[in-house]
Amino acid sequence: MALISTLLALRKDPRILKLPPYLSALCILVGVAWLLVLPLNEYSRNTYVSENALLPGQVHTYFTGSEHNVFRAYRHEVASLVDMPLEERNQKLVHILRSNKLKAATQSYSYAASGRNISNQNVYAVLQGPRADATEAIVLVASWLTIDGEVNHSGVALLLTLSRYFKRWSLWSKDIIFLISGDSTSGPQAWVDAYHDSHSPDTIESLSIKSGALQGAVAIEYPAGPWGHRFEKLHIIYDGINGQLPNLDLFNTAVSIASGQMGAGCTLQRMWKHDDNYKERLQTMLRGMISQGLGHATGPHSAFIPYHVDAITLQTVGDGWHDEMTLGRTVESLFRSLNNLLEHLHQSFFFYLLLQANRFVSIGTYLPSAMLIAVSFSITSIALWVLSGRPTSIPSPATTAPLKDSKGPTEKETNKTAVTVVEKDKDKSLLPLAALEVTERSLFLPVAFITLSHFLGLFPLYIFNNTTEAFLAPAFYSTAILTATLPFAAAFTLRRFARPTPQESTLIQCFSLLFLGMFLSALATVNFSLSFLVGIFASPLTFVRGLHAASSPSTPVPFTTKNRLALSAVMSVVLAALNPVVVIRAATLYWGRDIVQVLVQAAEGWHVWGLWTQVVVWLVWWPAWFAGSVVVAGGLFS
Amino acid sequence: MDQQKAMLFGAAAAVRLLLFTAFPSLPQLLAGRVEVSTPVTSFKRLQEGVFLYTHNVSPYDGGVYHQAPLLLPLFSLLPNPASSPFATNLLFTAVDLLGASALMQIADSGQSVVTRLFKSSRKDLRWSSAAIAATFLFSPFTITTCIARSTSALTNLFILTAMAKASQGASFTFIFAMAMASYLAMHPILLFPPLVLLCYDARTIKSKTAPNPLAFTATHVLGFAAACGGLLGLSALLTGSWEFLAATYGVRLLLPDLTPNVGLWWYFFTEMFDSFREFFLGVFWLHVASYMPGLTIRLRTQPLFVATTLTGIFAVFTPYPSAADASLYLSLVPLFRHLFPLMRYTFLASATILYASFLGPAFYYLWIYAGSGNANFFYAITLVWSLGLSIVVGDSLYAALRDELDVERPELRGKEVKRI
Repeated sequence: MALISTLLALRKDPRILKLPPYLSALCILVGVAWLLVLPLNEYSRNTYVSENALLPGQVHTYFTGSEHNVFRAYRHEVASLVDMPLEERNQKLVHILRSNKLKAATQSYSYAASGRNISNQNVYAVLQGPRADATEAIVLVASWLTIDGEVNHSGVALLLTLSRYFKRWSLWSKDIIFLISGDSTSGPQAWVDAYHDSHSPDTIESLSIKSGALQGAVAIEYPAGPWGHRFEKLHIIYDGINGQLPNLDLFNTAVSIASGQMGAGCTLQRMWKHDDNYKERLQTMLRGMISQGLGHATGPHSAFIPYHVDAITLQTVGDGWHDEMTLGRTVESLFRSLNNLLEHLHQSFFFYLLLQANRFVSIGTYLPSAMLIAVSFSITSIALWVLSGRPTSIPSPATTAPLKDSKGPTEKETNKTAVTVVEKDKDKSLLPLAALEVTERSLFLPVAFITLSHFLGLFPLYIFNNTTEAFLAPAFYSTAILTATLPFAAAFTLRRFARPTPQESTLIQCFSLLFLGMFLSALATVNFSLSFLVGIFASPLTFVRGLHAASSPSTPVPFTTKNRLALSAVMSVVLAALNPVVVIRAATLYWGRDIVQVLVQAAEGWHVWGLWTQVVVWLVWWPAWFAGSVVVAGGLFS
Repeated sequence: MDQQKAMLFGAAAAVRLLLFTAFPSLPQLLAGRVEVSTPVTSFKRLQEGVFLYTHNVSPYDGGVYHQAPLLLPLFSLLPNPASSPFATNLLFTAVDLLGASALMQIADSGQSVVTRLFKSSRKDLRWSSAAIAATFLFSPFTITTCIARSTSALTNLFILTAMAKASQGASFTFIFAMAMASYLAMHPILLFPPLVLLCYDARTIKSKTAPNPLAFTATHVLGFAAACGGLLGLSALLTGSWEFLAATYGVRLLLPDLTPNVGLWWYFFTEMFDSFREFFLGVFWLHVASYMPGLTIRLRTQPLFVATTLTGIFAVFTPYPSAADASLYLSLVPLFRHLFPLMRYTFLASATILYASFLGPAFYYLWIYAGSGNANFFYAITLVWSLGLSIVVGDSLYAALRDELDVERPELRGKEVKRI
C-alpha cells in the first residue's frame, strides 16, 4: 500500500514530466542495442530438431546409380521443351508424369495487377502413397522459371526423376504432390489458393485432382542447363508472405540433412560467404529482417506459408563438386523425414531470426527490442496527455521570486502565483497551484484530425495498387511532392483559423503517437521486423514538438521559444527526410532497384499474394508522420 | 439543443449507413469475429434460426440458434439480409439511435449526480447529454456491434430504456423494457432490484410524497413477473413448445457452446474435468449474481451507479460477453463525470482496454489463421481486456465511495484515505 501511495504522490511531481523524452530515448537506444547483441553467442542458440518423428538423416538414401541416367535423360527432355508453346510444353510434362503412373493435370491461371496480365499454367501430379489414406500430403515444387527468371532445367528434370523414383517405393504414408508451377510466385499462389478452394474461379482454374491436408512443401531451384553444373552449397529460402515463417524444424531438418548427411554446406539470405563472425551473423540477421519486413514472396514456397503449410525453397549456388544427385538425395531424405510426421509440425519455433544455418534467436529473446521501441511512443503519448491537461505556463518559483524583490509591487504582483502546501513523509513543500490543476481538454479537433489523416492514407493505398505500370512513376513522384508539401499547407490553413491551439497540437501528437505505439506493438507479434523497421523510422516523431509563440510574455523566454523558427525549420527538414515516400525512394536507390519495379511488385503482392505491408505503410506509418509534421510545421506559422 | 441532437443523430446514422454501403462485406466479416458475435448474439445464427422458422421447422432443432424466439417473427418480416440488407441495416442503426436517445434521457434526469438520498458535492461537474450520447454513438465498440448486427444491440437498447424510464419514474415502460432485456439476455434480470429503487426514488421526487415501499415493490415485482411470463408465454405460443427455454436460457446458464469469446468462462470450461463442471458453473454464476445484493445495499443512495457498475460486471463475468457489453458499460460511465477527478487509474485502464482491443484480433489471427500461436495467446489477451474493464469498475467504485465520504465528512475532503 505504501508503495502505491508513494507512486501516486509521485504523479503530482512536476519533475516527472521532464522525464519521458529521456525515457523514450532510452527505450529506443536499448531496443536497438538489444538487437545488436543478439548475434553474440550468449544471446543466440544453436538450432536443434524438436520434433522426434522427423529423425533427419537417419535413413539411407537410394537415389543413386541408374537414377542418374534417368535424370540426364529427363534433363535433355526438359531442354527440348524450352522453346515450345506453353500448352504443348505442359501437355508433354503431363504425358511424362502420366507415364510414371501418376495422376496428372494442368491448371491455368491469370491475374491482373498494375495493368499487366500475369497468366500461365501449372502442371501437377499426385502420387497416392501406398500406406496413405489420402488425408495428408506433402508437396514437391519446381517452378518452370526460377526466382531470377532463368529456366529451371535441372530442377524440373529432378522433379520428374524423383516422381518416377518415389513411385517405386512402398513406404509413403502420405500422398506426394509434384507441382511444376508456371512461374516462381504467382503460380504456386494460384495452385495453393485453388487447393484450399479460396480462389476466384473466373480467372483461376479449379483443381481436378486433390489429396489431403498439406503437411509441408519443398521447392527446388537448379537452373543448370542440359549439360549440368556442379554446385557448392544449398541456399535455403524460408520467408513467407507478410513475414510469416515456416516451422523452424523444417529448416533444421533440411540443414541437418544437407550438411550432415550429404556434406553440402547451407547458406541463407544470400550470404554466399559466411565466416560465422559477429559482423556476418548480424548482416544475415538484418537481411532476414528486411526480407521479413517487406513481406514479399521470396520463392515458390512463400505462397504455402499463409495456409499454415510449412515450406522452404532449396536453391543451388556456387561452383563446387556437388551434383544433381546430392540435391536429389537431400530431397529424398527430407521427404522420408516428413513422411514420418505423425502430426503437423508444431513443436519448434514459428518466430525466429536466423543468424547462420545452425544458429538462431527465438522470439522471447528478440521481441523486447521491437516492444521497447513501440513502448517509447506510448510513453511520450502518456506524457503529452498529462502535459495537455496542465495550464500552458506554470510560473517557475525560481524566476518569480527575484522578480518581485527587485521591482517591488509591479503589475506582475497582482497575479501572484497561488501556492499550496504539499506534505509528504513529514517533508513540506510549496507548489504552485497551477501545477496541480487539470484544465479541460478540447478533444474534438485532435480526434477529427487523426481520423482524417488515417483516412487520407487510403488514397495513396488505392492509387498505387490500381494504377497501370506506365503511370506508376508519375504517380509516385507526384505523391512525393504532395506529401512533402501537405503538412505545411495543412499547418498554414489551420493557422488561418488560429488553430490548433498549443493544447490541441499537443493532443494531436499524443493521439497519433498512442495509435502508432499500439499498432506497432500489435504488429510486433505478427511481423516483428516490419514493426521494428517502421518503429525506427518513426522514432524521431517521439522527440519533435510543436513550438508556439509564448502566450503570456514572461521575461525569461525559454530557449525553445526564442529560437522557435530555426528549431521548427530543423525539425521540419528532419521529418521531411523521414517521409515514408522519401525513405522508400532512398531504400530503392541504396539497393539499386528501379522504383517502378518495386511498385509493380507491391501491386502484384496486393492483388495476388495478399500482401499487407502497404496497409501498414499508408495507414499506420504515413498518418503518424503526417500528424507529427503538421504539428512541427505549425511552429513555423504561429 | 434539438438541432444539435438532430445533427448528432444524423452524423451517427450517416457513419453507420456509409460503413454498411461502402464496405458490403464488412458485416459478414464482423459477424464472424468472436470478439463481437457470441453464440447467443450472433447474426449468422439468427439468420439460421429465421431460415428454419420460415420453413416451418423448429428453429432450435439444429442446435445452432440460441436466441429469443420473439426475434424470429421480427426478422422474418424484414427482407432477406443476404440479398437486400438495407432494411436490416436500417433497423440496427435505429436501435443504436434509440439507445442513444434513452441515454440522453438518463443524463437529463440528473440521477447520476443528485438522487433522492444523496447529493454529490461535485454535482456541477457534468457533461451535456449530447456529449454523453456522442460517446455512445461514436464509440468504436458500439459501431462494430451495429455493423456486425449482433442482437446484443437490442439488449443494450432495452437496458438503456429501462434505466431511462426508471430514472423518470415511469413504471410501466420501465417494467416492459426491463422484461424485454431480461427476456432477450437473461442476466439483465439482476438489474431489476437497483432499478426498482431508482424508479421508487424518481417517483418520490416527482410526486413529492413517498409511495408505500412495500406496495411499490410488490406491484413492480408482480408486474415484472407478469411481463416476463407474458413474453415467455407468447414465445411458447409462437414456437409451439417450451423447448426454447433449454435452447436459450439453458445455453446461457450451462455453457454447452465453448466458442471462444472475450470473457473468462470458455477457457476454464474447456480445461475442466466433467465431474467438476456443475460445481464450477454454480460458483461462477454465484459470483456474477453476488455483486447485485452487495452493491445495491451498500450504495442504496445511488441506484443508477449500482446499475451501471453491474453492466460493467456483466461485461467481464458473464459466460458470453462481447464488445457490445463493454460498449454499454463504457458509454454509461461518462454519466458519472463528477467521479473522474477521483479516479486514479483512468489512463492505465483506458490504455489497457485500447491495447487489448488491438492485440486481441492480432493474437486471434496468430492462433486461428497463422497457426503460430495457440489458445493461450488469445486467452491471455482476454484476461488483459477483463483486467482493463475491472480496473474501471473498481476505480469508479472507489471514486463513488470517496465522493460519498466527502459529503459525510467534509473535513476529509482532499485528504488521502487510509485503510484503518
